[in-house]
Amino acid sequence: MDQQQYQQIEDKITPPTPYLKNIIKAFLIGGLICTIGHAITYFYIIFFDFTETTVGNPTAATMVFLAMLLTGFGLYRKLGQVAGAGSAVPVTGFGNAVVSAAIEHKTEGLVLGVGGNIFKLAGSVIVFGVASAFFVALIKLILVSMGVVEW
Amino acid sequence: MKKIAWTLFCIPFFLFGCSGEQTVEVNNTVNNETDVGVREVINNSNEVYAGNAIFVDNQLLVAVQAKPWLDYKKKKIEKNLKKQIEEKFPDLEVFVSADYKLFWETQKLLEEEDEKKISDEVEKLKDLAKEET
Repeated sequence: MDQQQYQQIEDKITPPTPYLKNIIKAFLIGGLICTIGHAITYFYIIFFDFTETTVGNPTAATMVFLAMLLTGFGLYRKLGQVAGAGSAVPVTGFGNAVVSAAIEHKTEGLVLGVGGNIFKLAGSVIVFGVASAFFVALIKLILVSMGVVEW
Repeated sequence: MKKIAWTLFCIPFFLFGCSGEQTVEVNNTVNNETDVGVREVINNSNEVYAGNAIFVDNQLLVAVQAKPWLDYKKKKIEKNLKKQIEEKFPDLEVFVSADYKLFWETQKLLEEEDEKKISDEVEKLKDLAKEET
């Protein structure tokens, strides 16, 4: 049996990926997470002194905190199994990436284990986030100084 | 059975969008002319579905809510309304905001009777609206 034959057999046996079902699940559960986030936004606007401009920070912090609790109790894994990208793309996925890495490397010690690995997954998010924010700000600065848009 | 229940659960979410009539409320104890004028300006703007206007001394605080799909051009709507109201009443100090926080708080101020309290609250809201962080 050469490689091609093996590939054919593998293709035959492997069950087809239910793309449409996965997409719908991710859409609905991702949307549900965002709805909860929006409810928290309104909670902060109504009961605290936050406006629509400033409410983003506490909302993101709360969502990350909730995701951290769920990860610690082992519930976010189950959610991730069902929702896939729907649970990874919102900011809750970031919290999950940080805490799960911390839990995984806990046995290696507090400094080299947790400290060294906590941003193993989320570190790239931060790096690319900061870098792209810099470039977006640069583009906007150029556009503003050219008079195309306003701040 | 499950399917029917699910459908019934979903229907209200689609119908929420239908209940749309423009509501404009103004608190004005002083002058009837400005009251009608501000109402007219907000009514004429078809980018806004609700608005509250609070008069204190010679200050005017207008809080509006942009229609859902026009949320991204809030700043423009604010600017336009401010310009229109200022043109109509040049002696008023106008502040327009499309922020939900200001809309919520002005809704409460409409029922407030104590002039001093309203004035303090309006000052506070103006400061809050300028906050960026």
